[in-house]
Amino acid sequence: MKGFVHFKIPRPIVAVFLLLCLTSSPCSAAAPSWRSLTPTQHEALAPLVGQWDILPEIQRNRLLKTAKYYPKMTPEQKQRYHDRLEKWSKLTPEQREAARKRYRAFKKLPAKERERIKQELKAEQAKKAQQSAASGVSAAPATNQH
Amino acid sequence: MTNKLNPGKIAQLLTKSTQQMDEATLSALANARQNALNRRSVRAPVFTLTSASAHSSVRWTDRLIPHSAQPWIAAGLLAAILFAGTSYWQHVQEQQIDETDVAILTGDLPIEVFVN
Repeated sequence: MKGFVHFKIPRPIVAVFLLLCLTSSPCSAAAPSWRSLTPTQHEALAPLVGQWDILPEIQRNRLLKTAKYYPKMTPEQKQRYHDRLEKWSKLTPEQREAARKRYRAFKKLPAKERERIKQELKAEQAKKAQQSAASGVSAAPATNQH
Repeated sequence: MTNKLNPGKIAQLLTKSTQQMDEATLSALANARQNALNRRSVRAPVFTLTSASAHSSVRWTDRLIPHSAQPWIAAGLLAAILFAGTSYWQHVQEQQIDETDVAILTGDLPIEVFVN
């Protein structure tokens, strides 16, 4: 038993370990309801007015953090933020995390490569828009026949 | 048995006996003595610290903080450093997530590019 006493963990070390266990446990602040948001937050998160109170707390807290950047956004960025907010909030946490990973990977690419991808995407979008416009034109007479 | 043994005589007898010992035994005894001295020198500071006030060569830390409190203060400092480090790391991680979310939500590429 004497040998065991030699390896006894000192009490201060135990105290540090316990303290760290207690303080490192994740704790998130309670997310506020829509009514308790500030006017600036209301403006930023306006597209989510109908669903805010039913969103999970962790997601509301995360969205509130993004809303902090809203006053500094350009009008164009504000428009994009509003347009994308609802779709973003409907994604699962895993989908959002995957999107973050893809974005970070995209940001790591050389500027030329990023620009090339952007141009390709724009061309693809324009092609799709043309196709949908053409199909809409051709579909219209068909619907009129009924 | 009229010879009385006094300490001086005992010492003489022991010295005489020691001189008669073989080299291997003497070497083993010398090693054992050295080991005992080594162990004593490791424990010495602990003894010194417990009687710090009476000792002239007291460490400066012992003058400022009582010896019994030193492990607790060291543990407290360690906990504070670890806590501050963890908090800072979490803060940086959170900020990175926020900035990425804002970049996705406001960037010139559609959200579908990253979602699909």
